[in-house]
Amino acid sequence: MEYSFEKHKIIGAIEADDQYWRSLEECHFQLPRCASCKTWTWPAHFRCGQCGSWDFEWVTVEPVGTIFTWTRSQYAFDRVLERKQQVPYVTVVAEIPQAGHVRVMGVLKGDDRDLRIGMPVKGTIDPPAATSKWYPSIRWEVVR
Amino acid sequence: MSLRGAAAVVGIGQTPYYKRGTSPEPELKLALRAITAAAEDAGVDVRDIDGFISYASERSDPAKLMPALGTRQVTFASLVWFHGGGLPATLNIAACAILSGQAKIVAIYRSMAERSSQRLRVIVAQNDTSSQYLVNGLDSPAQILALRAQRLMQFHGVPQSAFYATVAASYYHAHNNPRAYGRSIEMNPEVYEHARLISEPYRLFDCSRENDAAACVLVVGAEHAQHLKQKPAYILSAPMGTMEGGGALEENWRPYYATAGQVELAQRLWKESGYGPTDVDVAQIYMNMNSMGIGAMVDHGFFKMEEAGEFLTMDNLIAPNGKLPINTSGGDLGEGFIHGMGLLPEAVRQIRGTSTNQVPGAKLSLVTGGPGDLMSSTALLGAPETL
Repeated sequence: MEYSFEKHKIIGAIEADDQYWRSLEECHFQLPRCASCKTWTWPAHFRCGQCGSWDFEWVTVEPVGTIFTWTRSQYAFDRVLERKQQVPYVTVVAEIPQAGHVRVMGVLKGDDRDLRIGMPVKGTIDPPAATSKWYPSIRWEVVR
Repeated sequence: MSLRGAAAVVGIGQTPYYKRGTSPEPELKLALRAITAAAEDAGVDVRDIDGFISYASERSDPAKLMPALGTRQVTFASLVWFHGGGLPATLNIAACAILSGQAKIVAIYRSMAERSSQRLRVIVAQNDTSSQYLVNGLDSPAQILALRAQRLMQFHGVPQSAFYATVAASYYHAHNNPRAYGRSIEMNPEVYEHARLISEPYRLFDCSRENDAAACVLVVGAEHAQHLKQKPAYILSAPMGTMEGGGALEENWRPYYATAGQVELAQRLWKESGYGPTDVDVAQIYMNMNSMGIGAMVDHGFFKMEEAGEFLTMDNLIAPNGKLPINTSGGDLGEGFIHGMGLLPEAVRQIRGTSTNQVPGAKLSLVTGGPGDLMSSTALLGAPETL
């Protein structure tokens, strides 16, 4: 399979999350867990800092969690100008309890009124699009 | 071999602050002006500066500066990781270089001019923002730190009035400072509340300014400092670092998230210096965004999270008589912002007694580094009697 994100690769930071994007592009929400000591490692990395293993298993996780924090962007910032037409938009940091409480970012979908930390969210996957820099993306939606 | 009191700041130099993108002079020339001004202030020959230290992605490197400064020899040069978190740590590196005999006169400086470089992408973000942010519409520190601010407000219950108090104090001080870019802004609750939203919960005045300018401080050994023109501001402690659970973890910092990630740094600062938060006379608190500075004050033990609303009032935060006067030049919000570098000279002026918002008899002057940075630092400067 040819992946859209690989053709539009963003360079920066740790860059150990290719498998996350690959899975997402195949419509699976997967997060990495150390194959040896089972510690969830997010953002993805190359070595488990807890046990020293170099092997991770990418586990399919149900995309449900709670709002850890959020912001509503009211300005079209330089490197995310693709979203200019969507301003204002909300980005949520969702905490995923079933994956060691790691926090995964995604743009909010649907009703954005009265957002509070702790609200339950569920995720759906959007295919690669110009607004997400031709990467696939997880979208969080409040379960009301 | 102790770092405490081994070196002192003896010279300061600053260019004017220009609106971002409007400096009449390029970045490198601004750096030269700040460094030569600091040498003159200290009473040393600029050609004798042998150490050069900056932080983050400074582009006016010593190799470019040398020919114009007439530098006789560079014996030490270093850049501190990462962004504004590296600011106070430059004092640490300077003291280490001097203490280990590798340099005698060290220039710490930062220069920024929009026209000379791509400020946000290269200078601030260092082209190193993860796809996890960019795919999800997050680019600017204003947006990313807004996530922390939201948590500070909604989860920890820090009120908007606390945010406003830091803004009010900064502009109050800026008003008295002829260098301050924001000196003519009349700040009041209406102006603050009606300013446009940037990334919620941040409004315009919660955010630092973006300016073109350069600043420099000169550091020499304690013995040398006694024979120069100015009253020395001794470096009592300037720890750098990051605790486990911090670092490049994007929004996965734990246990600390909404503060500055400076708890352990502050503990080391108090231990090495022998002083505590109640001893501090005046503080320059790095405010890329004001809530992050509030987090830094919590981390340093000035008040607990639940006391923030009560402690953070304009009266408590202004010179000369506030409980903890902060950002007495106007700081990153009101004076101008060149990656926090304006805070160091102001911390030194407070020791000398020459600030335009002087805290009478200030002897212990704190300067905190970029809060929430992947790695940060903090520093305590002291008058001779604090040694």
